[in-house]
Amino acid sequence: MYRHLAWLSLWRRKTRSLMVIMMIALSLSGLLGLQGLYDGMITHLINTTIRSDSGEISLYTKEYRLHKSLDYRLSPLSKFEKELSRIQELSSYSVRLQQEGLIATAHKSLGATIKGISLENEQNFGQLDAFITEGEYSFGKGNKGALIGSALAKKLHLTIGSRVIFTAQDVNAEINAISFRISGILKTGNPALDEHSVFVSMEKISAFLNLKESATQIALRIKDTERISEVQKELQILFPHTDVLRWDELYPLLIQMQEWMNIFNLASYAIVFIVAALGIFGVMLVSVLERMREFSIMLAIGTPYKTVRDQILLEASLLGVAGFIAGAFLGWILLFYMSTAGVDMRSFEAGLELYGYSAVMYANMHLYYFFQAFLAVFFATLLSIIWPLRILKKMKPIQVIQGKML
Amino acid sequence: MKLNHVYKTFYPDSPKEVKALTDINLTFEKGEFTTLSGESGSGKTTLLNIIGGLDSATSGQIFLDDEEISAYSEEKMAKLRLHDIGFIFQAYNLIHVLTVRENIGFIMKLLKFDDKEIEARILELASILKIENILDKLPGEISGGQQQRVAVARAVASRPKLILADEPTANLDSKNSERLMAMLRTLNEKEQVTVIFASHDKYVLEQSKRIIVLDDGVVIEDR
Repeated sequence: MYRHLAWLSLWRRKTRSLMVIMMIALSLSGLLGLQGLYDGMITHLINTTIRSDSGEISLYTKEYRLHKSLDYRLSPLSKFEKELSRIQELSSYSVRLQQEGLIATAHKSLGATIKGISLENEQNFGQLDAFITEGEYSFGKGNKGALIGSALAKKLHLTIGSRVIFTAQDVNAEINAISFRISGILKTGNPALDEHSVFVSMEKISAFLNLKESATQIALRIKDTERISEVQKELQILFPHTDVLRWDELYPLLIQMQEWMNIFNLASYAIVFIVAALGIFGVMLVSVLERMREFSIMLAIGTPYKTVRDQILLEASLLGVAGFIAGAFLGWILLFYMSTAGVDMRSFEAGLELYGYSAVMYANMHLYYFFQAFLAVFFATLLSIIWPLRILKKMKPIQVIQGKML
Repeated sequence: MKLNHVYKTFYPDSPKEVKALTDINLTFEKGEFTTLSGESGSGKTTLLNIIGGLDSATSGQIFLDDEEISAYSEEKMAKLRLHDIGFIFQAYNLIHVLTVRENIGFIMKLLKFDDKEIEARILELASILKIENILDKLPGEISGGQQQRVAVARAVASRPKLILADEPTANLDSKNSERLMAMLRTLNEKEQVTVIFASHDKYVLEQSKRIIVLDDGVVIEDR
């Protein structure tokens, strides 16, 4: 009986039912969109760091990260490369040689880090070429070109073709200088690289620092990111005198920032969730309260309370499910759009870059978002009918019928 | 049905306290056609609601077939209303999402009557009450007089022992009032249903076999 009544009530009040479904659907799709976007922002931050610098795991000599001295370099490289080629879990690796020094133009000089890399390796490793915003992904003829971080280029007023002089100590503590022409400007989203780094060819920097077969960092990409810790343990056994560090160990600040962002995101998400839940709660509550008279008539003529309760429960559930389906569909469209076309936030570019976020943000899309959204609708729907059901249970139907209540 | 020393006080022990009924002692026999009469605020609707178990007495006892129903739980009272009492309200109080047919058959459906039996009873009552042509309409699509006739059909459909009608003619014109009273009288005579009205409508009073007059919550006349 209650099934029939619930169905009739929904079907014969089409406008009201549609309004409730639309309200739930809109709240839900907003919730899904925001969750995907927040998730996407954090994933982007981690991805750019992994792609542009740390990989999932990096190898350093034990003292290097403390002293940043070339005395603590990985050498001979061939020995490391031979061992790494045997590890099947690796998808690629990149060998880097870096030294800190001074970068100067005719007008200004700043502290910077010069990084020797192989363009081809970096392309395979993390598609470094995709970060180029001006110029080309090349060191030019005779490897005399350099790629420079966008923030550093801005500080030094450098453009493509500008000449810079880099001064640093070589392995023998002799101060040397080398000149480059800027061939490309890149923006990785990793503030450490964008504000301080100059990328040059591995051969050129090796010769400049008087080194052979040496690197300061070997960054590794892992095929199965679920197995990072296991691979780290394997590598530590293989290279016992080397620091084998995961990306999150290398960038504790990033993790801290991520945690802060997570808290901020969680708070924002909670607010949106509460607003959406309150929206659903409000609509469902009103839709039950406005029909108190109808339920009172039913109770007055002898309908058991259980029948009325089951009818309200079923109606709310049907509306909740329909709202969820519509909301999940709208949310999927929104997430699909935001994950492919991205969200253009160029108006807030400066602020976002400060935290390493991209001006065009891409959302993530996971199945669990929809599961969480379903739970949100389920609880909001359940909450919305508990109160009216309590009122219905306590009241005398005749008081409602006579207009003495509500 | 027997009422022993029934009192009803609204907002007891507060400045708003209202003594709606005072020491009501009445007996209603099977097949009666009675009207509770009196001015507005005399307590007739309150008394009708207490008889029908829609409201509870502050003190006193109510018996139906020698069983004290004033001590019933809400659940048991709802069961009693469903099985034994039919209500006709002043404002019709039909269920708006149900068609006329579904409204008439509503209580029978709750009582799990057979579908064929329900349909036969609906057609029978529709014929008596002359509402055959509106059976598939929703309450919002029919007139007030028609709605009241549907309310009567719903009240009598499951053949309750008692029909309680609160100002059933208040919203009807004289023609519809006459028709309604004639129908209730027929049902009372044909099906031996006890009918109790709360009304101060002169026509209803003329049609009643017994009139109980209330004034300020006290029975002042029973004839």
